[in-house]
Amino acid sequence: MSEQQASLLLRRQLTELHRNPVEGFSAGLINDADIFKWEVVIIGPADTLYEGGCFKAHLIFPKEYPLRPPYMKFVTEIWHPNIDKSGDVCISILHEPGDDKWGYEKAEERWLPVHTVETILLSVISMLTDPNSESAANVDAAKEYREDHAEFKRKVARCVRRSQEEV
Amino acid sequence: MAEGGSKRINVVVKTPKDKKTVEVDEDSGIKDFKVLVAQKFEAEPEQLVLIFAGKIMKDTDTLKMHNIKDQLTVHLVIKSVTRNNEAPARAPADVRQTPFGLNQFGGLAGMEALGAGSNTFMDLQARMQNELLNNGDMLRSLMDNPLVQQMMNNPDTMRQLITSNPQMQDLMQRNPEITHMLNNPDLLRQTMELARNPSMLQELMRSHDRAMSNLESVPGGYSALQRIYRDIQEPMMNAATESFGRNPFAGLVEGGGGGSGGGVAGVNPQQGTENRNPLPNPWGGSGGGTASGNGTNSSTNGPTGQANRTGDQPPNNVLNTPAMRSLLQQMADNPTMMQNLLNAPYTRSMMDSMSQDPDMASRLLSSSPLLSNNPALQEQVRQMMPQFMAQMQNPEVMNMLTNPDAMNAILQIQQGMEQLRSAAPGLVGTMGIPPPPPGINTDPASGDGGLNSRTAPTNTNNSSVPNAGNNSVNAPAPALAPGGGPNAQLFNDFMTRMLNGMSTNADSSQPPEVRYQSQLEQLAAMGFGNREANLQALIATFGDINAAVERLLAVNQLSLS
Repeated sequence: MSEQQASLLLRRQLTELHRNPVEGFSAGLINDADIFKWEVVIIGPADTLYEGGCFKAHLIFPKEYPLRPPYMKFVTEIWHPNIDKSGDVCISILHEPGDDKWGYEKAEERWLPVHTVETILLSVISMLTDPNSESAANVDAAKEYREDHAEFKRKVARCVRRSQEEV
Repeated sequence: MAEGGSKRINVVVKTPKDKKTVEVDEDSGIKDFKVLVAQKFEAEPEQLVLIFAGKIMKDTDTLKMHNIKDQLTVHLVIKSVTRNNEAPARAPADVRQTPFGLNQFGGLAGMEALGAGSNTFMDLQARMQNELLNNGDMLRSLMDNPLVQQMMNNPDTMRQLITSNPQMQDLMQRNPEITHMLNNPDLLRQTMELARNPSMLQELMRSHDRAMSNLESVPGGYSALQRIYRDIQEPMMNAATESFGRNPFAGLVEGGGGGSGGGVAGVNPQQGTENRNPLPNPWGGSGGGTASGNGTNSSTNGPTGQANRTGDQPPNNVLNTPAMRSLLQQMADNPTMMQNLLNAPYTRSMMDSMSQDPDMASRLLSSSPLLSNNPALQEQVRQMMPQFMAQMQNPEVMNMLTNPDAMNAILQIQQGMEQLRSAAPGLVGTMGIPPPPPGINTDPASGDGGLNSRTAPTNTNNSSVPNAGNNSVNAPAPALAPGGGPNAQLFNDFMTRMLNGMSTNADSSQPPEVRYQSQLEQLAAMGFGNREANLQALIATFGDINAAVERLLAVNQLSLS
């Protein structure tokens, strides 16, 4: 699939998200001239520790999209078992397609060309709602999540507060 | 607010819980806009965070800077002033605290696959069906079980299934031995074999306590056992009146103990001989364990019939068993469950492998207790097989199975037949030969006639070995026997007409183009330009867009590169 197709596809998604925004996040471009670099704000889902947070993240799409997944990174500091301390998101649907060489993830759990910005972000939102401490990117957060929930809560609350103050 | 020449616009403001339209001057600054929004949402302007197009709008910005136009939607987050409501109403669900509540599907199915051979499994299932009528959640896991049967023949799939259970992952993380056990297909097979074989099970029961204590001494093993017991075994045991040794977890415990304690061979004296047998056939009640083998007649028909054979299998065997009746009822009550079942990748792979591998189908047939005594019947069913498979690949049939109305209709017809038989047994016999069923079902129907005349004697022979399960299954058969052939044919006729009617209905009101419209659009948006090919792929995959894309990509690989 050519680069034009990738940008066409992304442009279409952007227009659609503009017109009919999806619950829980807002998406735009970092720089209006570059359709491959997206900027999104994920709104912490209600009734979770992250409620009220506004977490900025960047989505960088490869030219081969949708055959290959974008790279996603939180710009806002966020304390979560599946987001490492530099903001990289560890979520199976963003992993390069094909079988996992460690046999941990099934092919259908990994990147598929059907995924859109919307499906990716909805996955991330559900990850916020329901952290998976079994495949941790931030080991400390995962450990806290399992063993010291009060401290975990406290740290999340702090990053939620900070995310609001960044405004 | 600057009035005058500038336009008023309506901006939709959306919070996670609420959505309101705010009228504002299009030249406004964000600060002024926030004042308006704050009034609508009864909050202070300082509390508001407005987000648009991935950007948080600052007080010093203007609406124009963000290119906000009429009818566009802006996201709003309201900060709480005091942070006293930091603690949310409900903490995110903790997988570890609700081990199987959350993941009942993976949990229960996984555990069953671990330890359950066909006997235990089927028997348990038959009993569970009654219990399940009152329990929706467990019902769902039950419905998943035929898939597990397929998986049991494949150590890889099984391992995947087991490892997808968070509890097992946990256990495996803490206990490398168990990981090792799961990674060893031989060990897995032996575990299955163990559960399948009654004498081995007896042996197991004897060494059960020791194995338990072995597992307990593994760190974390005890709590895992406790969870298993609390969340699965208790309900299962309530449903099953079998002895403890028949419970599927015996296999797990033994496997675990063997894995860590060194050598399944030690506990399994019959290892060498038994392993030469083919893997436990999910549909076959194997020769061993006579009571449960016969008793499973109803349950074998149940799970396999529910998804696959509604239209084709001899109706008086499948549809008249109590198990099937309750299944139909449940299916009618819960269409999403059927949908899940049919959409599960395992179902598809099972059907694929059946259609591609005639051997498997015939193995399945020859080991079915229903057919095992009757080579002629086997032959007939085998001939029906391709047609059956073709029918199952037919989206219309799939559609029918997922349509609650259709299921209800089948249920009603089936009940009606029952009533007719009890109210006017003579009538059924004197109905005469109904017109030959049209279309696809011609063969199955003619097969049925022969089938019934043959099964009847088999049944009477069997009844000389009295046991509860056998009687309950065979009870309708003698009453049926005189009118069995025509009756079955009549029924099949009904089914055929219904199927045809439904498929034409579905055709006229919803051609694939319409049914798969959204998927077609998605495919087109992804750059798959050939609409016809897209449609074909969608039809072939029953509208599963992921599978369709994979299919299309596989086909297009050459032209792309």
